[in-house]
Amino acid sequence: MLFEFAVIGGILLGIYYALFAMGLNVVFGAQRIINLAHGDIVVLGGYAAWELYETAHVSPIIAAVVVLPFAIALGFLVHRYLTPRLTRSSDPETLSLILFFGLSQVIEAAASLIFGPNEHSLPTSALPVSSLHLFGESYPGIWWVAVLVSIPMLAVFLWLLYRTPFGLRVRAVMSSASEAATAGIESRLVSGLFFGIGFGLAAAAGTMGIFIFGGIAPTDGVALTITAFAIIVFGSLGNPVGTVIAALIFGVVTQLAQVYAPSWSNLVPYALVILTMLLRPQGLLGRRQRVA
Amino acid sequence: MSLSARRRPAVDEETKRPRWRGVVSPGMAVAIPVLVFLVAVHVYSNELLLVDMAIYIALAQGINIIYGFTGYLPFGYFGFFGVGAYVAGYGIVHLGLSGPLAALLGGLGGVVVGAVMLPLFRLKGAYFALTTLAVGEALYAIVSNPSLTSVTNGPYGLNLAAVYSSGWSFGMAVGLAAISILAVVLIKNSRYGMTLRAIRDDPYSASMAGINVARDRFYAWLIAAAIAGVGGAIYGWAISVFYPQDVFDVTVSVFAIVFALFGGIGTIWGPTLGAAVLYAVYNVVGVSNPQYFQLIYGLVIVLLVLFAPRGLAGIARYLHEHRPFVRSST
Amino acid sequence: MAAAASMVLAACGSSSSSTTSSTSSAPSDITIGTAYSGSGSYATSSLPELDGLKFWITQENKKGGVYVGAYKKRIPVKLVAYNDLSSASTAATLYNQLITQDKVNILVADFGSVLTAPAVSLAEAHKMVLFDQTGTGIPFFTPSNKYIVLCDLPESDIWPDPLAQFLIAKNVKRVAIIYATNDFDQSQAITLKSKLEAGGITPVVYEGVPTSTTSYTTILQSIEAQHPDAILELGYQPNDTAFLQNVESAGLHPKMTFTVFPGQLLSLFQSQVGTAGLKYTYTYGTNLYVNYPNVTEGLTTSAFKTQFAAAYPGQLNALSLMGYNTGLVVEGALKNAKSLSQSAIRAGAEALSGKMTTVDGKFVLNSEGAQTGELLPVAQLFPSSAGVTLHAVYPASQATASAVYPAP
Repeated sequence: MLFEFAVIGGILLGIYYALFAMGLNVVFGAQRIINLAHGDIVVLGGYAAWELYETAHVSPIIAAVVVLPFAIALGFLVHRYLTPRLTRSSDPETLSLILFFGLSQVIEAAASLIFGPNEHSLPTSALPVSSLHLFGESYPGIWWVAVLVSIPMLAVFLWLLYRTPFGLRVRAVMSSASEAATAGIESRLVSGLFFGIGFGLAAAAGTMGIFIFGGIAPTDGVALTITAFAIIVFGSLGNPVGTVIAALIFGVVTQLAQVYAPSWSNLVPYALVILTMLLRPQGLLGRRQRVA
Repeated sequence: MSLSARRRPAVDEETKRPRWRGVVSPGMAVAIPVLVFLVAVHVYSNELLLVDMAIYIALAQGINIIYGFTGYLPFGYFGFFGVGAYVAGYGIVHLGLSGPLAALLGGLGGVVVGAVMLPLFRLKGAYFALTTLAVGEALYAIVSNPSLTSVTNGPYGLNLAAVYSSGWSFGMAVGLAAISILAVVLIKNSRYGMTLRAIRDDPYSASMAGINVARDRFYAWLIAAAIAGVGGAIYGWAISVFYPQDVFDVTVSVFAIVFALFGGIGTIWGPTLGAAVLYAVYNVVGVSNPQYFQLIYGLVIVLLVLFAPRGLAGIARYLHEHRPFVRSST
Repeated sequence: MAAAASMVLAACGSSSSSTTSSTSSAPSDITIGTAYSGSGSYATSSLPELDGLKFWITQENKKGGVYVGAYKKRIPVKLVAYNDLSSASTAATLYNQLITQDKVNILVADFGSVLTAPAVSLAEAHKMVLFDQTGTGIPFFTPSNKYIVLCDLPESDIWPDPLAQFLIAKNVKRVAIIYATNDFDQSQAITLKSKLEAGGITPVVYEGVPTSTTSYTTILQSIEAQHPDAILELGYQPNDTAFLQNVESAGLHPKMTFTVFPGQLLSLFQSQVGTAGLKYTYTYGTNLYVNYPNVTEGLTTSAFKTQFAAAYPGQLNALSLMGYNTGLVVEGALKNAKSLSQSAIRAGAEALSGKMTTVDGKFVLNSEGAQTGELLPVAQLFPSSAGVTLHAVYPASQATASAVYPAP
């Protein structure tokens, strides 16, 4: 009974985690950069949901859509103005990590200056549903709402990537920027937009994260980034489908750990990173690539 | 800080060499900070703050050794710090060790964890950095686990008040800073340092030239781990009561990396000055307005990476090289 | 938020104070040093506590300062307060700064056991009396440590006494206890469990979770599988908020839900959890909800409420009352102390025991420096026009309403 709860709950949360981690993988795909500010963008999305609800009574579900253009624009600007200098430097990979780490600190500081350092949470009455029952167990309404927000977003994203001309260009740029350029694709524009979409997905996930994570605080960013990193490396970097599968597994494992060994459940994302990196650095669906 | 008497880029008329090279010889790089600390403790009586600063100098130099000389950036550096604090605390509480002896045991704890992490060197750049971060967080999750309360005292922390000694812990912290700087001086001016740089710049050629890449990199890693282990041990001993989240704190890594980067990676003086200056600024501005401090150092990181990846030392060198006609201001 | 770190409230801006104890000339001011959490998980509790202390200082300085018995005159009070960011290690450095560099006369701890812990050992090592506000963890109070005075709350193991009695009286058989693993909550959990067991109740769930926990959904599901009548969650404010939210969102309706902090920060809980999630839950009542018309020190309850609310609009809660009470304990200690030496100040505080009544009730100190007065009743939150209203329900001597059990 608890087992069923953990598995079904894990799948529900896993769908949300797929949205939550996807943005990090998208940014990686666009620029070969691990966006250490990913968790902070998620947190910003949460603040947006909080602000919109508290000042204008906008439902967090609508907020998930409202934040998209702003986050995409932010990502686009970051890509346009910060990354070009990096690619010219001696050690772009490590320096980009440090750069985005600096960005994450700036966002954290700005968030605490604007919203104060304390945790912000929204009452569950901000969402329209109460708990739902399935196979004799009740699951919190917020999990269902998060799923109902995540599925369309992920579906639109995957449709965009695999079924539209824009997606074709993105995939062309991702596989080889120089070849795409010679084929007449404005690769900077395309990868900039894609980079922005990564930020957009993160912010959209944040609007639900304020419920899923039990509130948000400016300092939550780092831990969220590690969790997202765990999911995308487990599922294979640069592979969106891998992220979805990894997120589902991660959700179920975390829930099982919370039910059967609650004090060890915090260890799950870290153990996942370490084991993946040591045993199968290319991830679940990955072909052998340059991570090791 | 009375470190302001450091370098005045100027050219010595007789030798045609920059004067500061002669003044700030490698020995001075160790002696000056030690002297400054010994004077400071008589002027400024909150020795705990000076202990922290000395430990951060050591940690920044530890980052310098592993990142500056091998190119591997360990975000999870705080893991060694926490393990050192806990191993030492265990030695004090359960084995009845004295503080200094426990600090050395803490260093050993850091070395053991460092050795266990050896396989991570298969990973490159960002993957290595983030995986060490996961290791640090995993160590925290284990040490603070309520299930292990009988071993680590779990989330309830350690109380070392019984062996509290502000004088001894201060002395040990300054000693650790001195040894860390000395380690960098010795590495930088030795064949080993050249080897490490060769590995960093081009591991394949280095191994072709008969260098045992894995072994030499491993030594640097263990030295850095030992420094953080001893540093954590002294820190825990000096503050006498600590919880897991105080010593397994990602901020420790962040500060050490930012300080080293700010001063200049790969140089002898850079991390010392970076830690001294920024930690002092942190205590004047940061503690009262942490958000502003975080904002500033976040921006500093971004600007450094974009415009001055070699830090203060790089800026100083640039100024020196581009303004050869400036006379000494004395 | 005005984040001034080294806040200095001085009636007359005088130079540094000399703390040498038995000199004939009085110091120009009495410095009080404290740490507070401007951010992090303890900020919501620490900031109001600091406001209470500042309010007391302003009140005293309006009268020309605090009365110091050793000099038979009023001396202005100066506050030095540093922000520890909710970090115990930062707090350690700051306490050391207050002791060694600022050489304050009176050392006051930050909120809660976690942030008080480093002050306890530093104060003892430097032979400074620590005015411990709300750090009630049992390990702090030992016969050998003469340098601690717990001001505003009883020691942790006294807290659950009325709660255990209430559960036994209501014949609640299946009790689930879930606590955050820190000195404060663990001390209570241990005591609660042993008192319940002595009363014939064996908890069906007894589990610790990290103090950083902000999601209780899955744990609640495991608890629910044991079909408890009462779920007691002992945490800090962020834990309690998340717990109550999760109980509501999971659609659980236990007969009784208990958390620690709504009684101390009711308006915050009202905004974060909402009426639906709070109604009929239980908490510790605090002296904010008790009227003390006759006090020996400071303002009466009604005078405090009006004057504090005027000085710090919207900040009145149980913790600001406690911060104010810390000031009153310091005031009493300084009045009684024969000199400004730390041992005389401690003796001055000890002399207050059993003789002082304030807005925070009767002050009773045991030989280890722990409070044994100021008992916290069990209280329940009743829905009202303003959201929820707190009423003490147990013990009968303090009750202002009768408990609605099981919760409707």
